[in-house]
Amino acid sequence: MGQFVQFAINGLMAGAIYALIAVGIVSVYKATKVVNFAHGYLIMFGAYFYFTFAVIVPAQPWAPAWLASWQPGWMVEMRGDLPMFSPVAAVLDWVANLPRILLGLAGALVCNAILGRVIERVLMRPLMGQSIFAMIMVTVGLISILSGAAQLIWTADAASVPYIAPNMPIRFELFGTMIFLFGTDLVNMAVALLLFGGIVAFVKFTKGGIAIRATAEDQSTAYSMGISVPKVFSRAWVLASTTGAIAGAILATRNGISPSLGLFGFSVLAIVLMGGLDSYVGVLIAAMVVGVLEAMTQWQMGGGWAEIVPYVTVLVVLIWRPHGLMGQKEVERI
Amino acid sequence: MHLSFGGIKALQGVNFEAKAGEITGVIGPNGAGKTSLFNAISGFYRPDRGSVAFDGEDITTLSPDKRAGLGLARTFQNIALFRGMTVLDNIKLGGHTRLKTNVWQALRYFGAAQKAELELRREIEEQVIDFLEIDHIRKYPITMLPYGLQKRVELGRALAMRPRVLLLDEPVAGMNREETADMARFILDVQEQFGTTILLVEHDMHMVMDICSRIVVLNFGQQIASGTPEEVSNNPAVIEAYLGAAA
Amino acid sequence: MINANLKSSYAADERVLNNRYKQAFVYGSILALVLFTLFGNDYLILIASQMGILLIAVVGINILTGYTGLVSLGHGAFVAIGAYAVTIFGNLGAGVIPAGLMPFVSVPLAVALAAAVGVLVGLPSLRVKGLYLAVATLAANFIVIFLIEEDLFAPWTGGMVGLNTNVPNLLGWELDTKREMFGLIAVVGLVSLLAAQNLIRTRVGRAFIAIRDRDYSAEILGISLLRYKLMSFALSAAYCGLAGALFAYFYARILPEQFELALSLNLVAALIIGGMGRTMGPVFGVIIVVMVPEVIKVLFGALAGDSAGAGQLRAPLQQIAFGVLLVLFLLKEPLGINQIVDRILRAANRWPFARG
Repeated sequence: MGQFVQFAINGLMAGAIYALIAVGIVSVYKATKVVNFAHGYLIMFGAYFYFTFAVIVPAQPWAPAWLASWQPGWMVEMRGDLPMFSPVAAVLDWVANLPRILLGLAGALVCNAILGRVIERVLMRPLMGQSIFAMIMVTVGLISILSGAAQLIWTADAASVPYIAPNMPIRFELFGTMIFLFGTDLVNMAVALLLFGGIVAFVKFTKGGIAIRATAEDQSTAYSMGISVPKVFSRAWVLASTTGAIAGAILATRNGISPSLGLFGFSVLAIVLMGGLDSYVGVLIAAMVVGVLEAMTQWQMGGGWAEIVPYVTVLVVLIWRPHGLMGQKEVERI
Repeated sequence: MHLSFGGIKALQGVNFEAKAGEITGVIGPNGAGKTSLFNAISGFYRPDRGSVAFDGEDITTLSPDKRAGLGLARTFQNIALFRGMTVLDNIKLGGHTRLKTNVWQALRYFGAAQKAELELRREIEEQVIDFLEIDHIRKYPITMLPYGLQKRVELGRALAMRPRVLLLDEPVAGMNREETADMARFILDVQEQFGTTILLVEHDMHMVMDICSRIVVLNFGQQIASGTPEEVSNNPAVIEAYLGAAA
Repeated sequence: MINANLKSSYAADERVLNNRYKQAFVYGSILALVLFTLFGNDYLILIASQMGILLIAVVGINILTGYTGLVSLGHGAFVAIGAYAVTIFGNLGAGVIPAGLMPFVSVPLAVALAAAVGVLVGLPSLRVKGLYLAVATLAANFIVIFLIEEDLFAPWTGGMVGLNTNVPNLLGWELDTKREMFGLIAVVGLVSLLAAQNLIRTRVGRAFIAIRDRDYSAEILGISLLRYKLMSFALSAAYCGLAGALFAYFYARILPEQFELALSLNLVAALIIGGMGRTMGPVFGVIIVVMVPEVIKVLFGALAGDSAGAGQLRAPLQQIAFGVLLVLFLLKEPLGINQIVDRILRAANRWPFARG
């Protein structure tokens, strides 16, 4: 029982991250009816940007020393007489990293936002009004471009990045067994869910969000109502790329920096389709379910098999419910 | 039969019989459920209650492609031709159910498939293309044709099925006097020469009253009258709902 | 300049090569191919073989996506199935079936297996529309590759490390040089191209196009969407499986990473670049998709020399170039090279008159 709960919680935490990645795909789809097959690579760029600003920049000879590691006097004192793995030590280590973590996040956000803007303007805008197939294939081409560009700029070597939150081990009892977590994972999950909720609220309640939904339903009517459709598109892509930046940073702290980060995009695509392309709620549920299923599979069958869990699940769900768990069935007027 | 979509009752208690070899008209204001009726007969919608019978047999559970195999053909209100093909190819598709070529023969082409194709071509040219006077445009892609000719091609495609029952959904919508007269003539010719049973949805009352032997009137999904053209045009319920009194 | 192209019989009108120029082109190309096989230089034979193998697979994709309008981002899996199946069957039957007959048994078996899996993968297509199908096929691709790589099945599939392949033996004639293999590939390629074109001239191909253009209208004409969509999947999977089998015979060793997502995306890209839904589209597409990386390789070699650093840059550059090419075509010429060639031929046809 204990193991089950441990893995279940791990699964939920992973699911939260998937949900955050998914929110980018769903938002772009809601606004433009385009499924961005290259979203995983946008995330990867976010991760690499975080890596650049949190690791590469502070290591440069011209960067101030406190950027790499902020060690004010009081901290050195406190740190001095603490045992290695105490929670306070972990927090202090994190504080030392704080400047570069913040720089990393800020840099990733800004750079990815620009990237999203550029992609929308150069690739998607010219295709406005054309077949969905063409737009989707452009995102497929984008996969190659982004993947190659990342390899070119940063090479394919793996690396690691600083945790966003203190890496303290947390132990507590649940259902009679000890659960072992890392503080950083918990914070990641919280950040992911908060952002997810924030985006959903934005789309549901603000003017900008309503504009997005209107454009998704009927572009020409939205135009005639005074909604600037190009602006909506642009906003959707920037939203996707910025949430992607955060998601990428989180993923990087968990899995390290490597070109394989892009592959997460595909498993999340499967999740998005499972949840129903345009339903935030459905996608959240699907993400959690897949996260937990992956963890269970890892527990029972080893890590390799967990890789294909999202893909097997999506096939099963599609056969049972062709429009995803909560998707809207499209009615064609004959 | 009864048919509803969610809260919308498309058809309520519509019940009539189209006699073999006759032209039966279905009229009514927009939104009366005429196209829904046709879609139910074609097999795209399954009625909530009631049934569809073809020549005495119940076909309510048959899929659209199986109904086509029985000899049911149809044209659509908004023209459902295949825009990636020429007129000739579209009409050849009408002959789909009558060809027997399987995948292996198709991949080989030379032999059984070629023979079947040439036979079909000959038959279509002589019986459909000449009949509808569209031989001058048979190689044109659909996208190049004006509206009226497209409607005629769609009729040709339906005819290539050698149907026993033909459903025509607004065959003369958007046509001028001349084109309408031509189309009406073709429809009558089809009935005379091939003995096809025809069901016609139309708004053009002159044409409907002229060529139909029986008319069914729908309003808000309900059948409010059925009978000969004289009976229907004098029916007060019909006049109020749709026709309007003579000026 | 062709003024008119009038025929006096339906049979003549139905011919594909209906004027002298088209006939000259086709017969001339076949002659050129034969000469090339006999006398072409080794490096070019290698490139041409790659093109040939890819062509067969792209023709399959053309049937599925170009003619039937179903999008698959995972057909690389069927190439993998074909390649592994032919090798595994060859190994399994080594003692039982004489070497000279083996290809005639293992290749059809491999193709049939690919087609069967194709039908399985195609089942969702009956209920889900384009987008969902694309992701479903993507998922299938990942699953198949994973199964091949997975240690559990490694005794048969070689796992991540790959398998050594056999040399095909056609009734005693061992095709152990690349040149001989190319001859086989060229013949099979031509036949498969011809077969695909034949499909379009019959009711099967027309039914596919009907499903693509307007599926409810196809149903009304008696076309069972179930049967024909599955048939399209099976055919395209079979073609890819055949390409895979030839791939296995051509290369000394096969590895799972050769069949990953990149292959599936390459196939679709080649189709789009070449021109969807037309017979010559796959040919043009395959030429571009194989030539562009080669050109980059040569250019790079000339510019950057042989340093290891340069080598590292080359692969990502090829990737970027590929993506840019695909995007350019989608933005500027979505109907592919075929459309460009059409325009040129129409202008040549009109010459010396100006347009209009």
